[in-house]
Order: sequence, then structure tokens, then C-alpha cells
Amino acid sequence: MAKLVGIFAASHGPIIARDWETMPRDHRAKLTAAFDEIGRRLRACRPDLLVVVSPDHWVNFFINNLPAICIGIGDEHDGPPEPFMKKVYPHTVLKGHAAFGRHLLQTALDNDFDPTLSHRLTLDHGTCIPLWRIGVDPELPLVPILVNDLEAPMPSIRRCLAWGRLLRRAIESYPEPLRVAVLGTGGLSHSIGETTMGWIDETFDHACIDAFARGEERQLDAFLTEQLDRTGNGAHEIRDWVIAHAAAGSSGFELIDYFPSPVTLVGAGFASWKAPAA
Amino acid sequence: MTDYWLSKLFFDLQHDAQLVTDSRADMAAVMERYRIKPEVRRALMDDDVAALSPLVNAYLLRFYFQVRGMPQDEFMARLHAMSAPGAPAAEKVTHG
Repeated sequence: MAKLVGIFAASHGPIIARDWETMPRDHRAKLTAAFDEIGRRLRACRPDLLVVVSPDHWVNFFINNLPAICIGIGDEHDGPPEPFMKKVYPHTVLKGHAAFGRHLLQTALDNDFDPTLSHRLTLDHGTCIPLWRIGVDPELPLVPILVNDLEAPMPSIRRCLAWGRLLRRAIESYPEPLRVAVLGTGGLSHSIGETTMGWIDETFDHACIDAFARGEERQLDAFLTEQLDRTGNGAHEIRDWVIAHAAAGSSGFELIDYFPSPVTLVGAGFASWKAPAA
Repeated sequence: MTDYWLSKLFFDLQHDAQLVTDSRADMAAVMERYRIKPEVRRALMDDDVAALSPLVNAYLLRFYFQVRGMPQDEFMARLHAMSAPGAPAAEKVTHG
């Protein structure tokens, strides 16, 4: 059977790619150290497959057809379309893992979840900035899960917790002996294209980190459900961390680093969770 | 309130380099391809961030003004002015 061997989360932001070479050196060093630490831990757990939980920044979907959750079940996916990404992450095709993707989809349907599916997703900066900076082997197969983190109404935190538990169940019921890691991307607080653009809500971020560290799902749900509409819109991407958190069994959270990153407009957070005992 | 055709224009600009080129050459002609309301058309021609903001997803709004060539600092300043004392009350944006 497959097993969950690593669970991680990391922020992203287009400026990380667009202005990487020109951003202040000390800031680049902090980002590098955090991403590198996730990379070190990811390589140490020797995954055969990486499930990446990310938002879609209006690349695959529009408001005429906007799924809450989409699972990428193809053998391949397209690399990032943004011009600023092509310079730093020139992979035009990324490997998928159709068999596990289909298993995850079927497990979801069998458990009364109703995701949409895609045989070929385009993976934008939200997925690919962490892959680039963490140094994920471009040959490592990916199963993307795209979550609507951008346009209300979005999946509830309660539902994201349930998705995380479902993801864990799918991993542990997959019949091949795969080593599977999970990476949630996005957050923490940031504000994009709204009247508070540039605001990094450190109070929210620290409370959010505390809620993950405590682990308890009902408290995390209550806190995020209450607070997400009161902070910047980018914080909605925390849903991807929530899915990772529940996949980890809602325990074992470890903050790798957090710092407000006004250069990139995000509250930059990096974390891992203890993998379940074998 | 989401304006579908304005959103569609912004979305298409994100995906179609030729449309971007066309919009830079003749924005009015590009708007003819969409069912853009007269008041929205005026806001587009005036680069009126405050008028457009309640009508589209905030990420699409940001992308559009990048395409228009508005510097980020200016874009942010125009957004911030919407919540400044004395500014008209901004509609609660229901999209992220």
C-alpha cells in the first residue's frame, strides 16, 4: 500500500519569480532558506509522488465554469503560462500520475465528494513557484488538486478539513507501494487588488500559525471561518494548508519560518507536519 | 456585483497575447467584442480603478492594470484612496 511520507506548506507570490534577481539580497536569502529547508525535508522523505494543493489564478477556470475542487488525473500537465514564470521555471510539461489521480477521484466519489476532474491542467505560479524554489525534481510525478481560493463562494474550512482526511484515506488505500508527499501552497495573509492591497496582517498570521500548532480541527475551523473575511483576500489560500493539515491527521505541525514579506506582498509562511508513523 | 463581460474581457486578456496587442492599439475596438455597458466602457477608458474594482475579481483587476502598464505603486495608491476618509463607501467585494 502507499503511504504518506511528508506534508508541507509554503507561500507563493508572483513577485517572488518576477523580481527574484532584483529583490534585496537579505530578503532573497530568507526566502531561500525557508524554501531550501522544505526541499531538504522533502528529499529526505524520498517521495515517488507529490500531491500539490494550490489555487488556480484564473488559468484553468473562469466564472462560467468554476469548480470548488479539481483533481488533475492526467499523465501530464502543462507548465506555467505566465511570462515571468517561463524565465525561471521553463518546464512546459510536468509529469502527472494518472493512476493515483484516478484513485483519488474514485475515492472521493465513493465517499460522497463531488470534485471535478481534468486530464490536463495548466499549473500556474501558485503551484510552480514552490516547486521551483524548493527544487522539486521536475521528473517527480504530480497530482494537482486545485481549490477555489479566489472567488466567493469558496469551499468551507470544514469541507477542506474533510478533503484532507479524504486525501489521507486515498493515499493509504492505494494498492501500490508509493511514497506520497503533500504540499499545500499559498497564504498566509496578503491583499491583492483590493483597497487594502499590500497589507500583511501579522496578527492574523500569528493566530493562524497558533491554530495549526494547536491542531484541533474545530478551533481551526472556527477561527478561520470567522477571520478570513476580515483579512486580505489572499489569506483564503490557507484552505490549501488546511487540506494538508487534515491529511497529516491535524497534528504534528511545525513552523519552519514566518516573516512578513512586503517585497512580495505576502505574509510568508513555511511549514511541515510530522508524517504518520509507518 | 460581478460584471460578467468585464470579467470575461480581463480573463481573455490574461490568455490571449494578440488581444493584449489589440487592446493597446485600440481599446475601444476591443471593447466592441464584448457586451460592455456604457458606464463600464467609460471607466475602462478612464483607467478608473475605483469604478471597476467592485465589478471584477480582485486578481483579475490587478492583472488588467498590469497589462495596461499602470505601475504597481500607482495601482495600490488608487485602491487605497477608495478607503480613505471622505472617499465614497466601497461596495463590499464578495470575490476574493
